[in-house]
Amino acid sequence: MKFSIKLVLWTMIIMALTLGLSGFYFVNYVFETSLEREINQAMDENSILRFAFETAALNVPLKYGVLQDGTVEQIASNLETGGQDVRRMLRLSDEEKNALYISDGFDADNELLEQTKENQRAYRVIRSGEHFYVQTASNVNALDRVLYLETLKDVSEVFYERAMGYSVYRRMTILMLIFGVIIMNFIAAWLTKPIRLLTKATKEMAAGDYSYRANKVSNDELGQLTLDFNSMAEALEENIDKLEDEIQAREDFVGAFAHELKTPLTSIIGYADMLRSRKLDEEKSFLSANYIYTEGKRLEAMSLRLLDIIVTKRGEAKFQKVSTESLFEYIRSMFIPNEAMEFVYTYDKAFVRADSDLIITVLINLLDNACKASEPGSVIEVKGNQEESGYRFTVRDYGIGIPIEEQDKITQAFYMVDKSRSRSRNGAGLGLALCAEILSRHHSRLEIDSAPGEGSSIGFVLRKEGKEEENEKINH
Amino acid sequence: MIRILIVDDEKPICDLIDLNLSAAGYYCVAVQDGIKAIEAIEKDNFDLVLLDIMLPGVDGYDVMEYIRPLKIPVIFISAKHEVRDRVKGLKLGADDYLVKPFEVVELVARVEAVLRRYNKAEKQVTIGDVVVDVEARRVTKAGRSVVLTNKEFELLLLFVENKNVALFRETLYEKVWEGEYFADSRTLDLHVQRLRKKLGLEQNLVAVYKVGYRLEV
Repeated sequence: MKFSIKLVLWTMIIMALTLGLSGFYFVNYVFETSLEREINQAMDENSILRFAFETAALNVPLKYGVLQDGTVEQIASNLETGGQDVRRMLRLSDEEKNALYISDGFDADNELLEQTKENQRAYRVIRSGEHFYVQTASNVNALDRVLYLETLKDVSEVFYERAMGYSVYRRMTILMLIFGVIIMNFIAAWLTKPIRLLTKATKEMAAGDYSYRANKVSNDELGQLTLDFNSMAEALEENIDKLEDEIQAREDFVGAFAHELKTPLTSIIGYADMLRSRKLDEEKSFLSANYIYTEGKRLEAMSLRLLDIIVTKRGEAKFQKVSTESLFEYIRSMFIPNEAMEFVYTYDKAFVRADSDLIITVLINLLDNACKASEPGSVIEVKGNQEESGYRFTVRDYGIGIPIEEQDKITQAFYMVDKSRSRSRNGAGLGLALCAEILSRHHSRLEIDSAPGEGSSIGFVLRKEGKEEENEKINH
Repeated sequence: MIRILIVDDEKPICDLIDLNLSAAGYYCVAVQDGIKAIEAIEKDNFDLVLLDIMLPGVDGYDVMEYIRPLKIPVIFISAKHEVRDRVKGLKLGADDYLVKPFEVVELVARVEAVLRRYNKAEKQVTIGDVVVDVEARRVTKAGRSVVLTNKEFELLLLFVENKNVALFRETLYEKVWEGEYFADSRTLDLHVQRLRKKLGLEQNLVAVYKVGYRLEV
């Protein structure tokens, strides 16, 4: 059952019970008091009548000092006539409880009379057809006789009012309930609005729209729930975006890899096919064989680089205290054979915590890239500086530079700023991807500052030896 | 002579296409980027352009946009093998789309097919007294019509397109029967034998030991 319907239903049940009970109690209370008043009145009247009767009996001229039945009847008739306007009826009975005088319409049995003892007064409420009466009974001591006086007072009015009260209350309760249902419906709809909005949001999200957010319409617990739901959706969306990015990156990688694989393969297959199916002259045979060789080498280089990346990703880095001087000297000796460029080394002596083989790989890659980007004879600066945050390595060239929109892409595998140019210099587009991987193992990253035509400055910061030991322990 | 422009950023691939198409009797010009391709088209007339998509500078799609109004037939040659890439290439108005790595035989066949469509290729090929009408799929020997089955004709066409090239059994199977090559199948040999007999090519259609057959002219 819907929550709003439950809410309406329960409110209605409680309202009906409260209204019904309170109405019943109220009407009954009014009835009880009215009836009591009527009874008191009837009793008073009874007393007055008794007194009047006794007085009248005293004033009757007596024969033999005895009150005759006829005289009793006479007095009663007189009393009856006096009380006609108040719709009062009476009955007088003798000692043996035989009726001496009965008013017209006095329609009651002798039950009350039977119960009435001497010097006692009694009453009861009886019903006769449509009418309700208060019947009272008492002794009358007149001269030597003890008579019984009964009165019958019509109290139908009180009962009628009670029935009226009930009916009015019933109608009012029904009316109130109808109004209540209408109003409660609106209230329930208003109260459950956050729930409906949340339901809609969950459905939208289930259907794949992760950017959908529920509107917050209240400041209560449901409003808080909406906020929490939205922050959950936020986290979810972020995660999904991240996953999608990762999938996209993986797809891009596979696509790029397939492309990079196909290019040398096309040449190798094509030239090999030519060699086996054609009679070629010596020059063409050599050309074909050479292409097969160089393209095969290119594939080899690519697979080795890929392997490097995979090994770096999986492998364990051996962190140790490394002197920056040893790193720079090693690089210097590596690049001595390269006479086309002018290398300038400036560095501070310090110690860093790193895997020296991996860091040398990064530096060689950066220098290689700098050479590829520069014209022969230009300057390449290799710098090492102590800084607050650690030790900064920088490789600066004055070559072609990297367009700003491509700077965040260059660490992607197979990405080349100038494809034909890098490829003609034996690049596979994997160097910076490897560097990024190695540096992430060192909790560092490549920082690129470059402008097309002005050259690039690519650097990274390693933490200095000494204060980092604790960190390394935590991380490994 | 039919002139073909080859546009590919890889020199080895340019050379490969160049060598093979030149051997098939075409005149080839190779350039390595989009701008140079457009310059070459400006300067010279070409009957066909073989166009790579991933080019430095101006990419293949842009070059295609430039070529389209000139009504020069274009075959895209790309490592992009996905259907949407092919559809994009063909929608731009290319006549064919060849995926790298490709077989030389296939390249030559596609080039011939596109040129035939533009009525630029030779419609008739002559080997001795045998005349092959490629368009009408009719073969005559010394003026007399010879009836060939479909497969026989396809086989003959492949030999004619690759004169003096040793065609491997698996290549022949792949191209003519478009199916798996079974080492012990004699179907190919039977067809070759029938071709020799029907067209009197015993001297020209020679078996190459352990390889396949070659049409020597």
